[in-house]
Amino acid sequence: MTQPEHTPTMHAELRAIDEALATGTITSEDALERELQELTLALQAEGRKPSREFGADLRTRVQAGFPRERRLRRPHLPSLHLPSLRLPLLWKLRRPPLPVMGGVASALVAIAIAVSLSDGGDPSPPSDGDAASERGVIGPEGERPSAPGGAGERQSGKAADTAASAPEPAQRMQAPDIAPEPPTGRTGFAPGARERRIERSASLTLAAPGDRLDRVAEGIVRLTDRHEGFVLRSALSTGDEGTTGGDFELRIPAPRLQRAITELSKLADVRTRTQSGQDVTPEFVSAQERLEGARAERRSLLRRLERAPNDAAAEAIRRRLDLNAGEVRGLRGRVRDLRMRTNYANVTVTLQARDGDGGSTSPDPGDGLGGAVKDALESLSDSVEIAIRVLGVILPLGLLTGAAVLGTRAVRRRRREAALG
Amino acid sequence: MESARRRSRGVNETIVEAVPTLAHSSESETFASLYERTFPRVYAYVASLVRDRAVAEDVTSQAFERAYRRRRTYRAGRGTREAWVFGIARNAALDELRRRRRRATLEADPEDLSAPSPGDLAELSLRRETVRSALGTLEDRERELVALKFMGGLSNAEIARVLGLSESNAGTKLHRTITKLREACHDPA
Repeated sequence: MTQPEHTPTMHAELRAIDEALATGTITSEDALERELQELTLALQAEGRKPSREFGADLRTRVQAGFPRERRLRRPHLPSLHLPSLRLPLLWKLRRPPLPVMGGVASALVAIAIAVSLSDGGDPSPPSDGDAASERGVIGPEGERPSAPGGAGERQSGKAADTAASAPEPAQRMQAPDIAPEPPTGRTGFAPGARERRIERSASLTLAAPGDRLDRVAEGIVRLTDRHEGFVLRSALSTGDEGTTGGDFELRIPAPRLQRAITELSKLADVRTRTQSGQDVTPEFVSAQERLEGARAERRSLLRRLERAPNDAAAEAIRRRLDLNAGEVRGLRGRVRDLRMRTNYANVTVTLQARDGDGGSTSPDPGDGLGGAVKDALESLSDSVEIAIRVLGVILPLGLLTGAAVLGTRAVRRRRREAALG
Repeated sequence: MESARRRSRGVNETIVEAVPTLAHSSESETFASLYERTFPRVYAYVASLVRDRAVAEDVTSQAFERAYRRRRTYRAGRGTREAWVFGIARNAALDELRRRRRRATLEADPEDLSAPSPGDLAELSLRRETVRSALGTLEDRERELVALKFMGGLSNAEIARVLGLSESNAGTKLHRTITKLREACHDPA
């Protein structure tokens, strides 16, 4: 790119040109500048003048505000012959400008990505157990589990009555030897992958104002459903002042444990939170191998029973088959139990009322004005988090859109100016 | 409605009738005054680009209509209203040129009806011929620069805005062009 020349002579000559244009006369004393001014006036005189008729016509249109001609184009309906159908609104619809469409599209994409991130993007890395479960250590089916002893209790004061969201009958276990599989989003078996069976458990103590305990309890149940888990047992204690606390025993699919705990922690103030994991892979493998062995023995016994030479031998084989059947049943139950324990994490939630809110326990610094400020800060924090996520999507998209718009403009400008050669 | 007459700055006379005030909209009034200020110059500029009176009228009309429809998109920070209108006119003219694939030259210009007859001013006529010949030696982009400056009456800053250049670059290009033009006038061959 050449740098523009800036010389005093050039400035003086340009100034002389401007003077001639402004005054319409030759003003300079300098011979060269006079010549330039003469040329300027001659060039100015070269300008075409519009005809009176054209000027009058255009002026009329300006006065009228350039009324649009009613030339409604029919939409292309090649297969439809609807001569009597009038679609004035459709005809009037004009395509919105490209930047508007681009902006709307970017916003939609940003919202979609932000929503998917906030919904499915658990920021915490999966633990060993999660990873193991996701790798698919698993049984062949993906049924919803039953809740053993799944009736809940509701205690009224010292008495308790039942009220729990036990799993539906349809969700109860169908096949006795198949343990339930949590919805992992991945299916199949990973050949060569190391299969770990981790039994995970977590315990949370949540505190909320007495008048909000019911709502928090409902939130716990809803959250469990959302994560495709189930409530094994729930109990709400009520007293003279209403609900005073509650206990929940949940089963959450192991891959979703971290996210579920994060969301549970947002329902109320967290007083305690513990998590643990136990590797039960050896027990699981051992039980599986023993089960396979027992089944193989059963097949062998059946074959031998077919070929039994006499009744006494057949009777002996039947007795052994009975023993084998008991062994197979026990081992099936063992495998199923281990699968259940490792596919679903055991989450215990204890719900407490805050002090002064009709309940128990220790004093809560989150009450009153301080609590309100804390809640406000948490809300602000959540809002900022969402805003950052949205920005993280919108910003690159916006930059890309901006670059595309600028590029399009540059290309369009070049194409236009190509007409000038 | 009373008409007003105004004399242009050039050698020739331009008759411009005042646009009546529009009572219904102050925006329209503003646009009418903008139209009043720029119409002859926009036409002259467009005509110098498209080299055809009928086409120049179409393009000028189209440019003002576009400007009217987009009047709310004007931003003062991006330059004067004049530069904005000339930018729209330029785009309309270039689109038209592109459509028609017309590479007109001054030699192909139609007779200017408003030009004085040769018998009236022989010296003026000779000078105009010289200037036209010199203009013929310029490239299209240089001729556009001349049209914006001398027929459109734009300042260097406005030209820069219309052409997407810096002001100093526009001044430099203009100076080069006028120097080339002057030399061509001295040496018509």
